Order: sequence, then C-alpha cells, then structure tokens
Amino acid sequence: MSMSIVWAIFKKEMKIYFVSPLAYVFLAVFLFLAGLFFFLGISISGEASLRVMVGNLAISLLFLLPMLTMRHFAEERRQGTFELLMTSPVSLQALIFGKWLASMALVVIMLACTVLFPIILAHYGDPDWGIILTSYLGLVLVAGAFCAAGLFSSSLTDDQVAAGMLGVLILLPFWLISSATSILGDQWAEALQNFALLPHLRSFGKGTIDSSDVVWFLGFIFIFLFLTYRSLESKRWR
Amino acid sequence: MVEVTGVTKRYGPLVAVDDISFSVGRGEVFGFIGPNGAGKTTTMRILTGFIPATLGVAKIDGFDVFDNPREVKGRVGYLPETPPLYPDLSVGDYLRFVAEIRGFSRNERIRRVGEVMEQVGLGGWEDRILGSLSKGYRQRVGIAQAIVHKPSLLILDEPTSGLDPVQTLGVRDLINELDSTVILSTHILSEVEALCSSVVMINGGKIAASGTVEELCSLAGTPAYRIVVESSDGPFSDLGIIAAKVGGLSSVDTVTQDGAALLISASRDPRPDVASLCASSGWNLRLLERNKPSLSDAFVAVVKGA
Repeated sequence: MSMSIVWAIFKKEMKIYFVSPLAYVFLAVFLFLAGLFFFLGISISGEASLRVMVGNLAISLLFLLPMLTMRHFAEERRQGTFELLMTSPVSLQALIFGKWLASMALVVIMLACTVLFPIILAHYGDPDWGIILTSYLGLVLVAGAFCAAGLFSSSLTDDQVAAGMLGVLILLPFWLISSATSILGDQWAEALQNFALLPHLRSFGKGTIDSSDVVWFLGFIFIFLFLTYRSLESKRWR
Repeated sequence: MVEVTGVTKRYGPLVAVDDISFSVGRGEVFGFIGPNGAGKTTTMRILTGFIPATLGVAKIDGFDVFDNPREVKGRVGYLPETPPLYPDLSVGDYLRFVAEIRGFSRNERIRRVGEVMEQVGLGGWEDRILGSLSKGYRQRVGIAQAIVHKPSLLILDEPTSGLDPVQTLGVRDLINELDSTVILSTHILSEVEALCSSVVMINGGKIAASGTVEELCSLAGTPAYRIVVESSDGPFSDLGIIAAKVGGLSSVDTVTQDGAALLISASRDPRPDVASLCASSGWNLRLLERNKPSLSDAFVAVVKGA
C-alpha cells in the first residue's frame, strides 16, 4: 500500500465532501445534536461534565456515520469511477484506507467544533480535563469503528440508501447487545458482552485509557476494513 | 504489443467472451467492431485488468494482465464507455487527481495536466465542474484522463458515441495524432474505416472475422461496377458487345431508346475495356463507377450469417 496513493485518495474525498453540501449538512446536524445533548446534560445533572453529551453523541454517530460513508463505494461503482481507480495503479487497500481516513478527518473536524462546550464548562465550573480528553479519544475510536462498518456496507451494494440502512443494521446489534445480555442466561451474557460496544466506552468516560478497550476498537476497525477489502475483491470475480 | 490467447469470460452460465485470440502490433490502430452486447466491453475490461478472464491469457508488452497488473496498468490508458468522472470535482482537480494516482509529482502534475488539456481542446476549462459539462466535453475529459500518463497502449470503448459530427472528427484527429497503440471499440463503421489498420469483428462473444479493412470488406462480395452508356446517334442496341467484352454481366437495369444502365459484378476491373469500347463505338460514357462493398455490408453479412 503506497502512502502517496492513500494521500491522493484522501485529498480527493475531502474535496468531494466540501464541494458538495454533504459535509456542511453533517456538521450542522452533528453540532445541533451536540448542543442539544450538552444543554440537556448540564441542565438535568447539574454537573460540569460532558458525560451525557458524549454518551448520546456516540449513539447518534451510529446512525449518522453510515449515512456519511454510504456513498463511498456505491457511488464509485455507479459513476464508473471505480473502473478508473481499478485500472490505475491504485490498490484496494490504499483506496479503502484513504476513504476511511477522509471520513475520520471529517469526524475529527466535527468533534473539534464541539470543543466550545468544554470551554464553556471551564468558564462556569471546574471540569475534569482528563475525563474530557479520554472521552474525546473514545468518541474518535467509536467513530472509526462506525466508519469502517459503514464502508463495508457501502461495498456490498450499488444502492447508496440501501448501503446506509445496511450500515445502521450492522451496527445496531453491537449497541443493543448490552440490553439483551440481561435477558439471556449467564453463560450467553458473558460471551456476548465482549461484542457489546458501550462497555468498551465506559473506561474512557472515567478518565482512563484501558488498552484492552483501545485494542477492541482497533480490532473492530481492522476487521471491517478487511471485510470491505474482501467484499470488493470478490466482486471482481462476478 | 498485445497478445490475447484463448480468452474466455463466463458470468455463471452466460458466456460473454468465448475463446478469443488476436494480436495487435506496436503503433497499430486496432478496431473492435460488433453489435451491442457482442463482448467488446468485456474484452476491453479484461485487457485493462479490471476483471479477470475465466480462461486464457492476455499479455501487454509481454506482461500478463493478471499476474503483473502493476506493469500493465502503468502502460495502459483506458476510456470506458461512459467517462469515469466525479461530478462534484472541477476539470483541473479531476485530472490532477488522475495524474497523482498515476504517480506524477506535484509540479509534473500541473505541467502535464495543462499540456493534456490543451491537447484535447479543454484549454481554459480548468475550473468548470464536471457535472455541468456537456457530453462532448465529458468525453474530452475522459480522453484526457486516459492519456495523461502517456500510455503506450490506449484502450477506448466507443470513444465517439453520443458526439456530434464535428466532435467526432475532433476525437478522430486526436486518435490519429497520438503515437501510442490504440485499441478502440465501436459500432460506427465509418470510424473503423477512417482510423483502423486492422479490425476484429466480434459477434456473440466469438471472433466472426478479422483482418484489414479491405479484407473484411471483401467478405461482403466482389466489387460491383455501374455503367451508364448512351449512343450519340440512333437507337442503342449493342448491349451484347459490352457483355461479351467484359464478361460477367450481372444485370441490365434499363435499356432505353438511346442508352443503357448496367450493373456489373466482375472479378476483374472492366472499366478500361468499357472505356475503350465506348471510344471505338462512338458511344457516350455517362457513368463508370466502382462500388466497393463497405464495412457495413460485411458487418451485416457476418452478423446475419452467424
């Protein structure tokens, strides 16, 4: 995988995000939700923390990010540009990684815009900066996982909307599993708990970085990017 | 330059390309003709390495398209049937992106893209958004994209489809100016006659005929000659003389009081004989024409005959 190709793909994706309304609409929706959760969080709990906002944003991203990534491969194939990329010296790995990085860059820009909220907190109260930093790290990791799954769903179908729905559908179980474990028996609960998303975010919310959670997210990202690769590769043969 | 041996592509039970072999020499303009759905696009996609063949080997410059995709992709420029454009990008951004993934450095990119845009007649169009371009200009951008890295082999899938006559001529001139080997597919036969040194006619996934344009034309039969003769004095009754002299008189369309129109299909050119006969007999020669069977006659003959 050549890094100069990854960089070329990354720049192209960023250009497409920002010359179309897509990125701006996403920023607007995301910042609206962030503001709402921030306001509700402090007015209900009265704490100078981002706990409520971060938790809710993680869930919102589960629905938002597949909508951001759904176009990636679906659109390339529809436009025929996938043919351009695959007949140029562009490897699938570089293409997938470049696209994932571009989605992540957009997420980081969105998150950077919410830095306003901790600044407000610091003005009126005394927030724990350690917790805020680790919470942001947790959000970036969770967003990385969602983008990877979203890219995978986009590789499955040429239909953008179907790809978006499919992305949400793939991610929902990872969120809902935590609730399901309480219904199921103990053995099942323990086995399934590993797949649940939210428990792996908990440590970040306490201001700690648990390496096993970081590894869990990186593994999640890797597996879905790999599945994307396999899915695109297998399509060549049909 | 290009060696295709026994290439077959199956999609499940459907055989899109069936045991095709041909070769293209360096510098040749090679035409790929056939009705829609004959397997032209599939063959081109196999050559570019976009899809793998089920069976058979395709080599470009000695490199197998499947085993050495990198070498092949660096040598090949490809314009698919619809130009592969990002509608949100500008012409300049798009072409610089293509140059970048083709491995051009920043300065080289800017220089080369400017050069190519001039070459295809896109000078001054750098900031136009691709989505807003007309069909003709999209096609130009598509060609620019295919030649930006100076490929030694250019593969063009229906490069003039949907263009107006002036644009079509522009594209043809462009192809003639390029010094790379060109493989082009088309169902516009005049294009092949105008451009190609050799031709493969493909039908139902199989090669139906191949050779030079002349060789293919001869498949549609021998040339026919049209002759109209007038007698200058009195009634015209000497058709038999012409027939005897020329041999192989196929039909006499009309004989009027003072003239005859003949349609002759002859194995050898009867025109000198007819001319001298007319001169010695004092007839007026009104028309003496050779009707070469066109490529489209051959095309119809092959497609219908298959």
